[in-house]
Amino acid sequence: MTLAVLLPFLLAGLAAWLGPRLGRRTGYVAALAFVPALLLAVPLSGMPGTPPALEVTRWVPTLDLALAFRGDGFSLLFALLIGVIGALASLYSVAYLSERERFGRFYAYLLLFGGSMLGLVLSDNLVALFGFWEMTSVTSFLLIGLWHTRSAARDGAVKAFLVSVIGGLALLAAVALIGIAGGSTSLSGLDVDALRASPLFTPALLLTLLAAFTKSAQLPFHLWLPTAMEAPTPVSAFLHSATMVKAGVVLVAKFGLLFGSSALWSGIIVPVGLATLVWGSWLALRQTDLKALLAYSTVSQLGLLMSLYGLADAEGRFAATAHLLNHAAFKAALFFVVGIVDHETGTRELPMLGGLRRVLPLTFAAALLAALSMAGLPPLGGFISKELFYEGMLHHGPLFLAVAVLGSALTFAYSFRLLRVFWGPLRHPEDARPHEAPPGLTVPAGLLALTALVFGLLPGTAEALTRTAQGALNFAEYGGHLQLWHGVTPALLATLLTWGLGGLLVWQAGRVGDLQRRLTPRTNANTVYYALVDGTNIVASRLIARTQGLALPDQLRIMLVAAGLITGYGVWRAPQVFHAIGTPPLALLPTAALLVAGAVGVLLARSRLTAVVVTGLTGFGSAAAFLGLRAPDLALTQLLVEAVTVILFLLAFRFLPGSRDLPRTRWRYGLDVGLAASAGVGATLLVLASVRFLAPPISPYYLENSYRLGGGKNVVNVILVDFRGFDTLGEITVVGMVALAVLGLVRLGQRGRTPTSAEEEE
Amino acid sequence: MSPKRRKSATLPRPSEAAAAPLAGDPILRSVSRAAFALVILFAMLLLWRGHNAPGGGFIAGLMTACALILHRMAYGHSALRLDPARLVPWGLALSLVTGLVPYLLGRPFLKSDYGYITTALTGEFEWATALLFDLGVYLVVVGASLAIAYGLIDVEPDETVEGDG
Repeated sequence: MTLAVLLPFLLAGLAAWLGPRLGRRTGYVAALAFVPALLLAVPLSGMPGTPPALEVTRWVPTLDLALAFRGDGFSLLFALLIGVIGALASLYSVAYLSERERFGRFYAYLLLFGGSMLGLVLSDNLVALFGFWEMTSVTSFLLIGLWHTRSAARDGAVKAFLVSVIGGLALLAAVALIGIAGGSTSLSGLDVDALRASPLFTPALLLTLLAAFTKSAQLPFHLWLPTAMEAPTPVSAFLHSATMVKAGVVLVAKFGLLFGSSALWSGIIVPVGLATLVWGSWLALRQTDLKALLAYSTVSQLGLLMSLYGLADAEGRFAATAHLLNHAAFKAALFFVVGIVDHETGTRELPMLGGLRRVLPLTFAAALLAALSMAGLPPLGGFISKELFYEGMLHHGPLFLAVAVLGSALTFAYSFRLLRVFWGPLRHPEDARPHEAPPGLTVPAGLLALTALVFGLLPGTAEALTRTAQGALNFAEYGGHLQLWHGVTPALLATLLTWGLGGLLVWQAGRVGDLQRRLTPRTNANTVYYALVDGTNIVASRLIARTQGLALPDQLRIMLVAAGLITGYGVWRAPQVFHAIGTPPLALLPTAALLVAGAVGVLLARSRLTAVVVTGLTGFGSAAAFLGLRAPDLALTQLLVEAVTVILFLLAFRFLPGSRDLPRTRWRYGLDVGLAASAGVGATLLVLASVRFLAPPISPYYLENSYRLGGGKNVVNVILVDFRGFDTLGEITVVGMVALAVLGLVRLGQRGRTPTSAEEEE
Repeated sequence: MSPKRRKSATLPRPSEAAAAPLAGDPILRSVSRAAFALVILFAMLLLWRGHNAPGGGFIAGLMTACALILHRMAYGHSALRLDPARLVPWGLALSLVTGLVPYLLGRPFLKSDYGYITTALTGEFEWATALLFDLGVYLVVVGASLAIAYGLIDVEPDETVEGDG
């Protein structure tokens, strides 16, 4: 399992390197990365008998953080799903992508994403789970924004990222709360009873739900998913069918064991899921872009899955897992089909297409199977899981069932709307010459469509898989069976009603369209989102204009006052930690006088040059003080820093405006004198009072151990490179970044000017 | 030296006239030739002995930067054949790798090691992995301060940024 998770990460680096060299054939390497995930089928097949395996790699033991992967039936099933779809998507994109694509980048992102997803479903450690969760957000951001020169792709990527980051933060908080209340960061080691009794239970539950809803595009967070289709089609198939969006479903399924006992859990999830089902399929019916239709259909199907897992009973989970399998099969197949249509005709717009079954017969067959499975028609897998869905909802009241039927009827309608591109007279954009796609494209689509058929005709296969998953999630025994015919039941009647309603919707498609146009609300999730984003930008730019637009002296004044207030508050709240340490050595008095003289001199200096020289006085004065305190290292550093500073100052002189700084009013003068004096006095007092507060001094430890442990006689240096080496590493990183930032600022004037400069025009 | 330097420099270099007022003084040239070598040697010494006596990567880096700036001012071109900003990532990488090696060997991240070797030439001789780490610090400091200084030297003084009165 560890290998299954890590191999995609390793091969991602390889793919990035191979991409420019092998071109599209990198896809074969990428498909290899999913082989270990496919091999997880072996432990899965023996699953009800064998206990779940646990592979733990220590990571940060002090934080109770480990790369722990637990192969229970549900995780393994999901990992297998990711492996299958991931491998197929990699192979599909070999034939799909154009020659000019940046393959290295594409496959590297795809593999990183696949690896994060595998890590997410297999992870047993809560913190690692959160880490993988965030990595799916980041990598999907990269994937959606792959064609980043298009503004729609950038917008979609940012939107997906912002929404899922909200959820990510919620999950971080939830994980922390669960870890605290449950006494462990390991999912399988949690003390569930303690968690339930804890007052943190409800907040953790709500935060988990927020995370799951954002990731799985439930209302009102569904807005990011349709724009995420800006990604290349193989990616969409991967993201939408098997993985990214189902992360939230996985979370609900897994954490249902922790939270399912609460009425709040199903009380929130089921209505939200059903609302998403209906609203998503309503929106899907309206789309003219095939991929947008599929995206909204994913939203609605996720609503269905959510509501079933949210029931947190054995029946719901059984039905949900069955539908999960079916959905992965038919949705990925449909995405592949849409990719073929797009590839062959150059468009995805429904009104521009028709009669494609004549030129794309194989694709049509795959599309028919998959779409009928989505519509819930026998003898396909989708029919069976829909029956189970109705059964589950039926036990919760007729209202739930009615909503479920409505949503499914809409699903039925949009499934047939999708198929419209294959009926009627042949119609396609004029410059396209559609003919059957190469096997690289049709085989993955066909395989998945056949799977949908197999799940229907041989329900035993899906049932075996579902039951394994169920057993592993500690579900209560559920005796249901997957079968095509189980007598005339209420669920069957509901199905018939669905078909009737769906048929009506298909038949009256024109009127439904009119109705939809009339019912379109003016505000929707997207307008709210853009209003929020714009609002944030406006507030931010106003804030920047108010604060950063000030002259430097004003900014300095504000900072000093703020620093004073914060420190003052600290002293006021906890005066006991400050106590005087007595008098400083008197021998340093002359140096101190030198320092003060330098500081005062800066204020009195009439020209900049004088000011710089006099500032040097304070610097060299400090160096002298360090020497007096027997710190030659510091003194040497101070001297050199001073020298470099002076050089940089002199170089920077050439840019400064010639005159002396801004005119100051008398009032300003007074303010500045007051500020400077109080800051100086305050800082002095603070230093004198707080040197030894809180903890005993640590210096004896370094003095004793620096030679023995670090092998150096210069304690300062040993601290820098050994004891506190990590700090130094951070500091030099900062130094490097500062240098690059300054360089950027300094070169700013040059770059922008060169192309249009007057000299070149002459 | 000149064509090679130009090739490796990534920044669009302004006309050499910008640096001209700083270069060309014969006294400055003569003095800096001697001083440059001495200062660099001293910086190396500081870097080397930092572990046991005052010195270390940071100080040595600053001192080297001073010497290189002096050279640049006297001769109008850098003694380095590459863009100093490139030293920064190399230095960071060196320090990071120095830290990673003990981690991969199963010891704490950045744990340094040291030991003693006796050779006929040097007598007892201490080696410490901390020196490599310090070398990384040195490279970062040299790169960063030189990048800023060269950047300031390279910009023409009378050039104004857009929208700047």
